[in-house]
Parts: sequence; structure tokens; C-alpha cells
Amino acid sequence: MATDSATADPSTEVAPGAETPVRRRRGRWRATSGLLATPTIWLIVFFVVPVVMVGLYSTGVITLLRNDDYLSLEHWRFFLTSDTYLSLFWKSVRMSLGVSITSVLLAYPVAYLLALIAGTRKYTLLLVIIVPFLTSYLLRVLAWRVILGEQGVVNSFLQTVGLTDQPVEWLFYSQFAIYAVLAYVWVPFVALPIFVSLENLDHHLLEASSDLGASRLRTFWTVTLPLSLPGVVAGFIFVFIPTLGEYITPQLVGGPGGFMFGSAIQSAFTAGLDWQFGSAMAMFLIFAVAVLLVVFGRFLNVRSVAE
Amino acid sequence: MNVAVSNNGRRWLWVMFWVLVVFLYAPLVILLIFSFNDRELVSFPWEGFTLRWYQTFLDNAEILGSLRVSLMVAAITAVITTVLAIPASIALVRRRFFAKGLVSGVMLAPLVIPLVVLGTALLILFNAIGIPFSPLTIAIGHIVIALPFAILTLVPRLERIPASLEEASRDLGAGWLTTFRQITWPLMLPAIFSAFLLSFVISFDEVVIASFVAGDEVTFPVYLYSQLRLPRRLPQVIAVAVVILFISAIIVIVSEVLRRVTDRKLESETTVHEEEVATA
Repeated sequence: MATDSATADPSTEVAPGAETPVRRRRGRWRATSGLLATPTIWLIVFFVVPVVMVGLYSTGVITLLRNDDYLSLEHWRFFLTSDTYLSLFWKSVRMSLGVSITSVLLAYPVAYLLALIAGTRKYTLLLVIIVPFLTSYLLRVLAWRVILGEQGVVNSFLQTVGLTDQPVEWLFYSQFAIYAVLAYVWVPFVALPIFVSLENLDHHLLEASSDLGASRLRTFWTVTLPLSLPGVVAGFIFVFIPTLGEYITPQLVGGPGGFMFGSAIQSAFTAGLDWQFGSAMAMFLIFAVAVLLVVFGRFLNVRSVAE
Repeated sequence: MNVAVSNNGRRWLWVMFWVLVVFLYAPLVILLIFSFNDRELVSFPWEGFTLRWYQTFLDNAEILGSLRVSLMVAAITAVITTVLAIPASIALVRRRFFAKGLVSGVMLAPLVIPLVVLGTALLILFNAIGIPFSPLTIAIGHIVIALPFAILTLVPRLERIPASLEEASRDLGAGWLTTFRQITWPLMLPAIFSAFLLSFVISFDEVVIASFVAGDEVTFPVYLYSQLRLPRRLPQVIAVAVVILFISAIIVIVSEVLRRVTDRKLESETTVHEEEVATA
């Protein structure tokens, strides 16, 4: 892709001498920084700086509330030695793992079908899968609450037709409900990067593998799956990270067991009014995400999510 | 022989596909059906068809107020996000500059931040510098999370527009503004439209950041979230939900179809251009 070649060709200079190479380069630099200035400044002021401030706040470099401790690692110490909060973190990690794996397993066969088998209809069918993701998140969770709830559609149906006289308990306010609903929410989003990586696959490789005598299963394991791994990892990460901080869905469908690490952060800022402790937990979450990105970052092709 | 799948496997994959479609759409259909059930609780038994939930929501000032706030926040978000994303994507696609990796990393980073963290971060920022919470503070947060999505919508389109078109315009003496207005903008327009709608939908749907930095005027998702604990209000809330669900689904489908059609058009047009250039 050619870059800013508008002035690169010498023959285009209308007035020779008016633009020296240095001045031209400076002008180009000015144009580029003009393009970048507002979006970059916006993200620095409203994204980078606030995240840094969370770190500063958690250690008391900045204080806002009356009972905040000035320059103190007490909140970090408390968090890192507290069984309760660390186990909440691991509970959220387990939830994210469960949800990401479930979504990938549900999405992969469908992405495979659409990318390699469905032919010309594939984009339309992909749209069918994706549209629910772009409609309201909260409403889709609400739909499941209406379905699974204690007096929800399933339970009231079972009682109306007389199959049970008590609500079936594992349907609502359970880890099952949390995993099912979150997987439901994320499946379309995971299908996208897997679809893109499978679609970009060179089909000749599959034919070559088959010509060399490999069975379909073997071709899948040794050619298709490894080559689609970037899409799988991208889908996995893009579910795993937001789910780590998730508190809305667990609270709505998980009942008392739906208190997650994200809920702890949220309630430290609202109910508990312990902002410094909340900041320490939020910062810890950022570190966890950063570690994940360092480990898996090279597999990530963000672009695959947009296509 | 198909190397990707056997006949049997193909049948199974299609079954899985349709099972997934049912899994994805059934809850929404159920929500739709029960929004017409004449019962205070959203559950069986079916007690007859009614439109009264749809009528009561039109009389509910709180719901209408929150919808108005949401529309305003989403509109501000969509406009500013698009205005920021256009120059950013042009720079990322057409320019070489120092620390490009870092800059594009920062621009896409909001994709991978848990929203609860960004919500708390903005809460601390606005408190520290003394900005009172309002729909505007919500929009500020929404722009941060919508920006990477808007940029990722614009970049592929921009990459498909041959840079030679802009170069030709500059060679013929047009300034950068004229070139942008006459060449780049019209060719990017479908993607700009998609980016605008996507930012709008993202903002309209967002609840976490909005609940952290909302003042007295809450958005519809925040209101909805607060009402979910009161089952008695549920039927009319569901009626609004269904209306919104269908409107947003229609918007998404229309913009996606539009994008496909114009992409195909762009491809055929630019190939013609290149052929003309080649024969000239």
C-alpha cells in the first residue's frame, strides 16, 4: 500500500523551489499529526490517564474521599492476603474459562460449516448468527431470566402441565444458568474470528493433504485446526477478558452464587464506598489482562473481529 | 470428493447450525410472545392476548425519559466517535509515522479492557478533576469503547480504495480538503455510515460505564437494570425491550446489507478505473 505519495513524485511539483524536501517532510509530518491528534488525545485523556489514576489511587498517591489513606499499600496488602477476594478472582477466572471454552466449542463447527461448506450463502448465514449479538445485551440476559427464573417460562410451564410441583432449582440462580447465558451472549462474537481464519485458509492445502492420502479427520487435525488457531485464540481472548470483569449477568441469573470479582469491584465503589480497595482490585484485573495479552498477544489479529 | 467434510458430517454440521440458530433466537421470540401475555408475571399460564403493556410504557415518564437520555448519549457518541475515527483510520492506512505500532495499540486497547475497570477509572478521573456526572460524561466513556470498533470498520474499506485515486486528485492540483471531500469521503461513505450506526448501537446498549458515571438522568439500560429486581414492572419493561430489540436488529441488518452492496460496487468501479488507467 502506497503511503502519502501525493507529493512523492517530483514531476507533480507545480512550483519548483517552493517546496524543499525538508519543508515537504515537515508538512507531511504536520498533516499526519493533525490526523492523529484528536483521537490520540481523546484516548490518552479519557482512557490511559484514568487507568493510570486507578493505580495511583489504589496506593494513595491520589486521594478523594475523606477516609482515604494517603500513600499506603495497605489495600494491596489486604487484597493479596485475603482468601475471600483472591478466591473471588479465581472464581471469575473459572467462569471466564468455562464460558470461553463453551463458546468456542459451540461456535467452531458452525464457523467451519459457513466458511468451508456453505458456499455463496455464507455471508447471509453469518449475518443470521451475528445479528443477535448486536442487539441489546441486557435484553438477551433478561430473556433468559424470563425463561429460567423461579417463576419463569420453563418452571411455570412444568408446573402448569403438572410435571413438577416445585420449581426446578438448578435452572435458576445457579452456576449452570450463568455459564449458559454468558455462552449464549458470546457465541456469535466468537464465531466471527474463527470464520475469518477458516475463510482465509488456502483450500489447496486441504486438497494437497487429501491427495497425499490423509483422511478428512487427519486433514482436520494436522492442517485445518492448526491454521485456524489464530481465530480460535482471538475468539477465546475476546470472550475471556470482558468476562473476567463481568458482574451484571451473574447477578441477574446467578443469585447468591453470582457474586463475582467484578461484583466486588463494583460494590466497593457503590455500596462499600471503599474506593481505594476497589482500585487495587481493578488494577489487579488490568495486570491479569496484561499478562494474558503478553502471552497470547502474538496470536491476536484484531482485524478478524471487524470483517 | 469434498475434502472438508463427508456427506454425513455435512448433515450433522447443518443440524448444529440450525440448533444454534434456534438457541440464539428462541429466547428473543419467547420474550416477544410473553410481551403480549395478559398477566402481571412474565410466565405461564397464558391468560390472553393484550397490548396493555405497550400502552402503559407509553405513559411511563421514567421509561420515556431514560429512552430520551439514551438517544441523546448515543447520538453524541456516534457523531464524535465517527469524527475521531475518520482521521485516525486515514492516518493508520495511508501514513507512515513514528511509533505507529504503539499508536494503533492505544487506539485498539479499549477492546480488551474489562468495562468495570474503565467505569471505575472514569469515576475517579471525573471526581478528581471535578466534572459533574451527566449524559455527557456517559458519552465520553462510550466514545472510548466505540472508537476501536469504528476504526476497525473504516480501515478495511479505506484499504480497498486505491491510493492512486487520491494521488490523481492531488496531481491535478486539488488541495487535501478538496481531495478528501471529492474523493475519499464519498468512497468511504458506506463504511462511515456503518461506523456511525455501530457506535450508536454500542452506546445505546451499554450499561456498565453508564451506571458508574451517570448523574440523575440515567440511560435506558441503567433504568432497565434497576427495574429487573422488581418483577411487577417487568411486563412493561419487556414491551419496551421488544420494541428496541426489533429496531436495533433492523438497523444492523440494513447497514450490513448496505455495506455489502456498496463494497461490491466499489470493487467493480475501481477495477474499471484501473483498466482505464492501464489503457490510457
